[in-house]
Amino acid sequence: MQPFVLSRPKTLAEAAELASASPQDSALRAGGIDLIDRMKEGLEAPARLVELRWLGEADREVLRALGPGDERVQIGALVTLAQLAAHEGFGEAHAALREAAGSAATPTIRNAATLGGNLLQRPRCWYFRHADLVCLKKGGTACLAVAGENKFHAILGGGPSFIVHPSTLACALTALDAQVEIRGPSPRTLPIAELFVTPKQDSKREHALQPGEVLVRAILPKPGPEQRSGYAAVKEKQSHDWPLAEAAVRMSLRSGAMTDVRVALGHVAPIPWRSREAEAVLEGKPPSEALFAEAAKAALGGAKPLRDNAYKIPLAQGLLREVLHRVAGVPLPE
Amino acid sequence: MPDDQRVTLKVGFAEQLRDIEVQLPAGEPKPWDARSELKVVGKPHPRVEAPLKVSGAAKYTHDIVPPNALWAAVLRSPHPCAVVESIDVAPAQSQPGVSAVLALVKPGERVIFAGQDIAAVAAKTPEQAEAALRAIAVGYKTEPFVVDTAAAMQDGAPLVHRGKVTERSTEGDEPGAGGSAGQRGNIRTSPSMKKGDAHKGLRMAKVSHEATYTTQVHTHSALETHSIVVQWDGPKAATVWCSTQGIFSVRDEFAEVFELKPADVHVHTDFLGGGFGAKFGASAPGSRMGFIAGELARQAGAPVRLLLDRKEEHLCTGNRPDSRQHVKLGASVDGKLTAIHVVAHGSAGIGTGAGVGRNAFGIYSRCPNVLVESHDVFTHAGPGTAMRAPGHPQGAFALELAIDELAKKLKLDPLDLRLSHDEHPVRRHQFELGRKQFGWDAGRKQAAALRDKQARVRRGFGVAASIWGDFGRGKAVVATVSVLRDGSVEVKNGLQDIGGGITTVVAQVVAEVLQRPVEAVRVRLGDSELGPSVGSGGSVTTASVTPAVRAAAEGVKTQLTALAAKQLGRKPEEVTWSEGQARAGSKSIAWAELCKKIEGEAVVATGTRPETYGAYPVKFMGGNSYQIAGVQFAEVRVDTWTGVVAVERVLAVHDCGKVMNPLTARSQVQGGVILGTSYALTEQRVMDRVRGVMLNPNLETYKIAGARDVPRSIDVVFTPVDTGANNTGAIGIGEPSTIPTAAAIACAVHDALGVAVRDLPLTPDRVLAALGAVPTRGAG
Ligand SMILES: Cc1cc2nc3c(=O)[nH]c(=O)nc-3n(C[C@H](O)[C@H](O)[C@H](O)COP(=O)(O)OP(=O)(O)OC[C@H]3O[C@@H](n4cnc5c(N)ncnc54)[C@H](O)[C@@H]3O)c2cc1C
Ligand code: SF4
Repeated sequence: MQPFVLSRPKTLAEAAELASASPQDSALRAGGIDLIDRMKEGLEAPARLVELRWLGEADREVLRALGPGDERVQIGALVTLAQLAAHEGFGEAHAALREAAGSAATPTIRNAATLGGNLLQRPRCWYFRHADLVCLKKGGTACLAVAGENKFHAILGGGPSFIVHPSTLACALTALDAQVEIRGPSPRTLPIAELFVTPKQDSKREHALQPGEVLVRAILPKPGPEQRSGYAAVKEKQSHDWPLAEAAVRMSLRSGAMTDVRVALGHVAPIPWRSREAEAVLEGKPPSEALFAEAAKAALGGAKPLRDNAYKIPLAQGLLREVLHRVAGVPLPE
Repeated sequence: MPDDQRVTLKVGFAEQLRDIEVQLPAGEPKPWDARSELKVVGKPHPRVEAPLKVSGAAKYTHDIVPPNALWAAVLRSPHPCAVVESIDVAPAQSQPGVSAVLALVKPGERVIFAGQDIAAVAAKTPEQAEAALRAIAVGYKTEPFVVDTAAAMQDGAPLVHRGKVTERSTEGDEPGAGGSAGQRGNIRTSPSMKKGDAHKGLRMAKVSHEATYTTQVHTHSALETHSIVVQWDGPKAATVWCSTQGIFSVRDEFAEVFELKPADVHVHTDFLGGGFGAKFGASAPGSRMGFIAGELARQAGAPVRLLLDRKEEHLCTGNRPDSRQHVKLGASVDGKLTAIHVVAHGSAGIGTGAGVGRNAFGIYSRCPNVLVESHDVFTHAGPGTAMRAPGHPQGAFALELAIDELAKKLKLDPLDLRLSHDEHPVRRHQFELGRKQFGWDAGRKQAAALRDKQARVRRGFGVAASIWGDFGRGKAVVATVSVLRDGSVEVKNGLQDIGGGITTVVAQVVAEVLQRPVEAVRVRLGDSELGPSVGSGGSVTTASVTPAVRAAAEGVKTQLTALAAKQLGRKPEEVTWSEGQARAGSKSIAWAELCKKIEGEAVVATGTRPETYGAYPVKFMGGNSYQIAGVQFAEVRVDTWTGVVAVERVLAVHDCGKVMNPLTARSQVQGGVILGTSYALTEQRVMDRVRGVMLNPNLETYKIAGARDVPRSIDVVFTPVDTGANNTGAIGIGEPSTIPTAAAIACAVHDALGVAVRDLPLTPDRVLAALGAVPTRGAG
C-alpha cells in the first residue's frame, strides 16, 4: 500500500469538495473495508482519503440516522450493517433488509461496513481484483472472464462485462423499492434502480455517482399494513463467503392473494436484478408450491450462462422458491 | 554397560493382547507396554505453553525484530513461462531506504511459473521495499505455457522442463515414496505398486466399476506464512530465526548455501504458526528464501527479515498436488474383490510428488490383484510439496468412493464390503466400533428412505479408512535431562513444537519417570544448540523424541538412585521410588533433600532412541514398522434445491499407539478432520487457463472452512495399541487423522443423492450437476 493523506473534514460540503478531484487524487472513506482492500491489493492508490465518519454533529446525524422519518424509514449512509441487522424497528415488512445485512460478510466486517459503502463497493470479479491483469472494466479491450474462469459470474444481463453486483443490501433494497438521496453539485433523490449502471451503459462503472457526490441516505416507502419480506443467500462456504446467488422478496398478503410483489435476485447479474417475470407470475394469485416453482422458472427464463455458471440457474431457482415459501408462509416440502 | 537384553512385552489392543519377546539394545529402558501403569503419561494435560500463546507473549518468527533489522521484499514473475531478456536492478538501489538489491535471474534464463523469484531488495520499511521493487526493470519474452493438468498431458503441450527432473524431497515426504520410472513429455512415471495380476482380476470379474475421480490443488495456508530472519555474526557465522518444521534442515541448507560449518549456524524456532509439510529447509519449495535473506543481510550489513505475504504463500510455498484417478474395480457376484486398478495423474506444478499414497494398495488387502500406477504431470505452476499425509487424501477419496459405487452395484452395505477385505485387526475393530457408536445401520436406512421419497433435504452416511506407517526414527534424537541441586528439572532438545503439543508430552514423560509434577519440568526446545533432533514430518515427532527423552530421564534416575543408595547406606538395587521419594527398607529421602546432595551443579544424562523393535499386530507395507489404523464416519445433509452440503457429524476412530496426552492427541485429530472437511467442501486453487496465473491467492476466494463449515460435532475415539515399537509406545497421529475425512464425506454425499460426485471439492455446482439439474449448454 502506498502512503496517503488522511483528511477529516467537518462538513459534508467540505467532504464533497475534497472528494471532487479524480479518483487517483482522492476517495471517500466510510467503513473503509472495500476501499482499503483495493489499496492493499494495489488496484488503486488515491493520494488522499476523505473520512466520512468524522463529520461535525449536524451532518453526522443525517448520515447516521436510522428509523422512521415522517411515514418512511430513513437509513443514513453511515449506518453499519451490524446496526441494520440488529434494528428492532424493522418488522416483517422490512425483514429482508435486516436478514440481508445480517448475512453479509463477517461480524467484524459488519461492525465497520456502512450502507453507503456497501452499495458503492466495487465488484469482486477476480480478474478485476488481480493487480497484474487489465480487463475491460480497467480500460483493457476484453472481459477476461468470458474465456477464463467464470463460475462466479453473471447469468443475467451480462455483457460486455460479466460481473455480479457485490452488494447484498442492494438486493434487499431493490425488493423493498427504496430510494437513495445524493448530495453534491446536483442534489437528487433516485429510485434505487437508477443508482446502478449496467455494463452496456458503461462497463467501467457500477453506479451513477460522480466524484464529489455523496450518498447520504436510503429511504424506504411506508409499508402497507400487510407487507412482509424476506431475504436469503446461497454460499459455497457458510462463514465469510460471498453469495453464489441471493433472493429478496416483498409482498402483501390480502384475502389469500399476493399483491405488490417484488422479486429481486443478487449475485446473478451486474446489477441487483429485479424479476418482473416472476412478479407477473405471482401478482394477484394465492401462494402455492406449484406457483412458486413457476415463478422461479420465469425469473431465470432469460438466463444466458457462460461456460462454468449454468448451475446458477437451478440454484437461484431453488433459492427463490425457498424464500417465497418462507415469506408467504407456505411450508417447504420436506 | 549391561548387555543386550531380551524382555517380554504385553502388546495388542482391546481384548486382543499377547506376550511377545523383544531384543533391546544395551541401556534401553524396558518399554512401557499394556502392563505398565502410568500416572502422568496417558492422562490429559493442557498445553504447558498455552498461557504464552493466549497472552501474546509467545514470539513467532514474524515477531522477531533484531536491532536495525531491514525488511526484504521479492519481485516475482508475472508470467507462467518467459525468457528473461534483460534485468536492471540498479534503479532500486537508489530508492529511499534501500540497503541491498539482488537479481535472482540472469538474462537468458527461463522462468517457469508465475510467482518465481526474479529479484529482491532490503529496505528500512516494507513500503520502501515494495516501492523499490517497482523500480526494477525486467524484460521478458513470453513463451507458451500450460497450467491445466489434462492439457499438459497432450502431445505437443508446451514442455515445462527441458531436461531430466531432479526430485526435491524433504522430511515431510512419506518414507519410501518417490522415485522415477521414466519421463516423456510432461509426464514422469513413478514406480508402480503391484500385487497379483490386476488385468486378469478385472477380466475374471462378474461385477465391475470404472470411473474417473478428480481432486483439486490444495494449498497449505498456514496461518503464519513462510518467514526467515537472518543476522550475521561475523563473516562465517549466523543466527537464523525461521518458521520451520525442521530446525536442522534450516541449519544444513543455510550452511550449505553460504559454505559455513553447520555448527556455526544457530537456528531458533520458539513457536511455529502452522506447518503442514511445506516448511522444511531455509527456503520455501518455490522460493530461495534462505539465500535471499542471507545474501541481502550480508550485503546490507544488517539483519534482514523476509516474511512472505499471503499471495506469495499461495504461489510459491508448495501445495497438495491435484489428481485425476481412473479407478477400475472388479468383484465376484457375492462381493469378493478380484481387482483394484488405479491409474493416477496429478500435477505438482513444476515439482514432483503427485502420487496418490498407499490407500488403494494397502487397505483392502484381501483383494488378490492390485495395480496402482501413478504419474507426475508437469505444469507451469508453483511446485507441490509434502502436505499432511502426501497423496493419501487424494487416493482415499477415489478408492473409497469407487468402493461405495461398487457396493451399490453389488447391493451390499459398503461397510460390510470393506470389512470383508480389510485384514488389519485394529481397523476391523474400529469399523465395528464406529458402526455401533455412529448409528450406521439406522442412518443408512434413514438416508435410503429420504432418497426414495426424492426429499428436498437429504441425509447421507459414509465411511472411509486410513493407512499410515509408524515412521518413528531411531538414532536421530539426543535429548538431555538435568536435575539441579535446587531440585529443578530441565529437559533439552533441538526440536520444534509445530503446535501438536510435543512440549507438554515431553514434560509428561520426564514427570512420569522422575515422579515430579508436570509443571516442575522445564522444557527447552526450538534451538539448534540443544541437541540433535528430527524434523516434524511423516508423523514422527512423538515417536522419535519421547523414547530418547525417557532414556535420558531414566539415566538421570539411575544416577539419583545411586546417590540415594549412598545417602541411605544401601545398595542401589535396594532403592525404590514412590511419590518422588527414594526408599530403601524403612528409610527414605525426599526429592529436595536428595538433590541437595548432588555433587557439582547437576546430574545430567543424555538419551537416544534405538531403531524400532516392535510392530505388533500388523506391519506397514512389509517393512519393520507398525501399520497405523484409522477409520472415519461422516453424516451429511444435502439441500437438493441449492446443492449445499453440510457436514453434520464426523466420528474419527484412530490408533496412535499409546496415547501420551489425550487432550492434545484429540486436538490433532480434530484438526485433521477440519482440514479434511475444508478440502472436501471448498478449498481449491483456481488457475486462469488463458493467462496462467492464480486467481485466488488470498483467503477470501481461496475458501478455508470457517466456524459454520466445520462438522457440527467431531467425536474422537482412540483405540490404543501397544505395538512394542519403542520404549514409550508412541506412534504418529498427525497425518492419519486427515486421510479419510474427505473420502468419508464424499461417500456420505453419494449415500444422500444416490449418485456420486466424483470431483473434489463438493461444491453446489457439482452437486446440482450430479442431480442432473444443470442445463448443459452455456453460451460463450
Ligand atoms: C470476506 C468478505 C466477505 C464479504 N461478503 C459480503 C457480502 O456477502 N455481501 C456484501 O454486500 N458485501 C460483502 N463484503 C463487502 C463489504 O460488505 C463491503 O466492503 C462493505 O460493505 C463496504 O462498506 P464500507 O463502509 O467499508 O465502504 P468503503 O470501503 O469505505 O467504501 C466503498 C466505496 O464506496 C465509496 N463510498 C463509501 N461511502 C460513500 C458515500 N456515502 N457516498 C459516496 N461514496 C461512498 C468509497 O469511496 C469507496 O469507493 C464482504 C467483504 C469481505 C472482505
Ligand atoms: S467481468 Fe468485468 S471485471 Fe470481470 S473480467 Fe470481465 S470486464 Fe473485467
